[in-house]
Amino acid sequence: MAALLRGLRAGRALRGLGSVVAAPTATSPHCSNLRAGFHCAAARLQDDSKSDKTFTSSSSSTASSTTYHEHYQAQSPEQDTETAEEASRPNTSYQDQSGEQGEEYETEEQLQARILTAALAFVPQHGWSMEAIASGAETVGLSSASTGMFYNGSGDLVLHFIAQCNSQLTEILAEQHNQIQLGQAEPKKTAEFLRDAVETRLRMYIPYIETWPQAMSILLLPHNISDSLKHLSTLVDDIWYYAGDRSTDVSGPSHPRSPSSIHTFLSPFHHHPSNIRPASAQLNWYTKRAALTGIFNTTELVMVQDSSPDFQDTWNFLDNRIQDVVNMAGTAKQVQSTGEAVVQGLMGAAVTLRNLTGMNQRR
Amino acid sequence: MQRTAHISLNHWSRFFSTSISRKCLKSKAVPIQLNSRGYSVLPTPRDEEEKAMLDRILRVDHAGEYGANRIYAGQMAVLGRSRTGPLIQMWDQEKKHLAKFNEILAENRVRPTALLPLWNIAGFLLGASTAMLGKEGAMACTVAVEESISEHYNSQIRSLMEKDPDRYTELLNIIKEFRDEELEHHDTGLEHDAESVPGYWLLKNAIQLGCKAAIYVSERV
Repeated sequence: MAALLRGLRAGRALRGLGSVVAAPTATSPHCSNLRAGFHCAAARLQDDSKSDKTFTSSSSSTASSTTYHEHYQAQSPEQDTETAEEASRPNTSYQDQSGEQGEEYETEEQLQARILTAALAFVPQHGWSMEAIASGAETVGLSSASTGMFYNGSGDLVLHFIAQCNSQLTEILAEQHNQIQLGQAEPKKTAEFLRDAVETRLRMYIPYIETWPQAMSILLLPHNISDSLKHLSTLVDDIWYYAGDRSTDVSGPSHPRSPSSIHTFLSPFHHHPSNIRPASAQLNWYTKRAALTGIFNTTELVMVQDSSPDFQDTWNFLDNRIQDVVNMAGTAKQVQSTGEAVVQGLMGAAVTLRNLTGMNQRR
Repeated sequence: MQRTAHISLNHWSRFFSTSISRKCLKSKAVPIQLNSRGYSVLPTPRDEEEKAMLDRILRVDHAGEYGANRIYAGQMAVLGRSRTGPLIQMWDQEKKHLAKFNEILAENRVRPTALLPLWNIAGFLLGASTAMLGKEGAMACTVAVEESISEHYNSQIRSLMEKDPDRYTELLNIIKEFRDEELEHHDTGLEHDAESVPGYWLLKNAIQLGCKAAIYVSERV
């Protein structure tokens, strides 16, 4: 009989625990995460079995176990009186909870974003991990069991941070663009623009630079790779867009930039009219982004092991890489024009030969 | 009705997706500043799917016009010094189409297809080789290509009309205008004895098969 009761209690407690996981917006607990939650429930079960309860109090405790936010109450004798009160109002607290949700409704994604943003403050301390997310959740005022929302844990945190950095960068670049449109700032040359954009973006990592290698390795995990690549590609696309890249647009009137800035950089074939060499102008879209991706990734790697003051070595490295790409583009342009000159020379030689042998005359 | 079902399906799939950032990527707002000018041919996409659909349409149209340009370039390279009258006029219109699509792609940050170098070479070779069959061969190639391009534009117009004709009026106008001009080219080709080339049926179907494959691939890559 007692064993049956104990089994019932265990079943109800486990079901209640399951409802806790499903409804993460519980009141503040005394346990710090889900694993500890199990310990709490187990301890409670032990308490139940140890305490000398009558049948009525035990039944009220099992009834109370279905109201989920009773699970994390302190294991103390006053639990009996509390559970007795709760038994008399079995579902009020649940209704209160849903009422709260109705008043300050936010989507789950917004809530997750809030938690992750708060969790960033704990990253230097706990690393990119569930502990940081749990601490973040507590700061926002939620149970740390709400980390159950995050299936990917540290991956979610890192990807959220990256997305945040990207949108910050986009805002900064858009603001600069507006300044230029309003005539309050000078447009930068492309190489300088790229350098500044990459530096601004990498500087956002400085507060987390100690733990950044961990974040990078998290991003390389197979289930995170596709998302991290998407973020990287949107980042690079944004930077090139604001740098004024309109590379499919060979002949359009929309861009007001002077020839010296864009056309000398990575658009070696830009001067040619579209009916002669359209292909290379189109391939520019891909080569530009690939080059910038390479620059960004290598500079990031240099940054994590850089110990110079204010990361001066990193910025020097960045300068050198951008200079490399500029030189390569210039070389490619020279090769192109040399090749065309050679071809013209050959054609001229062929025509001369035909003239000399008399083959050019129509008879 | 279909749209609500599609949206609810999307919500369902979002609920089950295992990564928040994937959710974020799917539901994130399209970047604020889509183009430097305030005016655009395309409406601002409401969500990622619409942007993906518009991207696909524009990418394949851009690739198509680009290929058509290269085909005419190939034809002109072979037949340039002979009977060039009708050919020149058609090529000029194609250049205009390509310029328009370049502009739209750049404004709306659409990724061009990565196969452009392939279409460059393939188009030129197709134009040159059919032109070597003579003027009739070149005209037959024109007829085949223009017919498949017109069919393709028609199906795009149909799908845009099904979705929301009011939202896409400008884009629809552009596509309709281009389709009409491609049909003109098709008729010009027929007028200039396209059907008299030996093996016309075989040539035409082979070219159209190639065009269909090119369209399919350009939408995706």
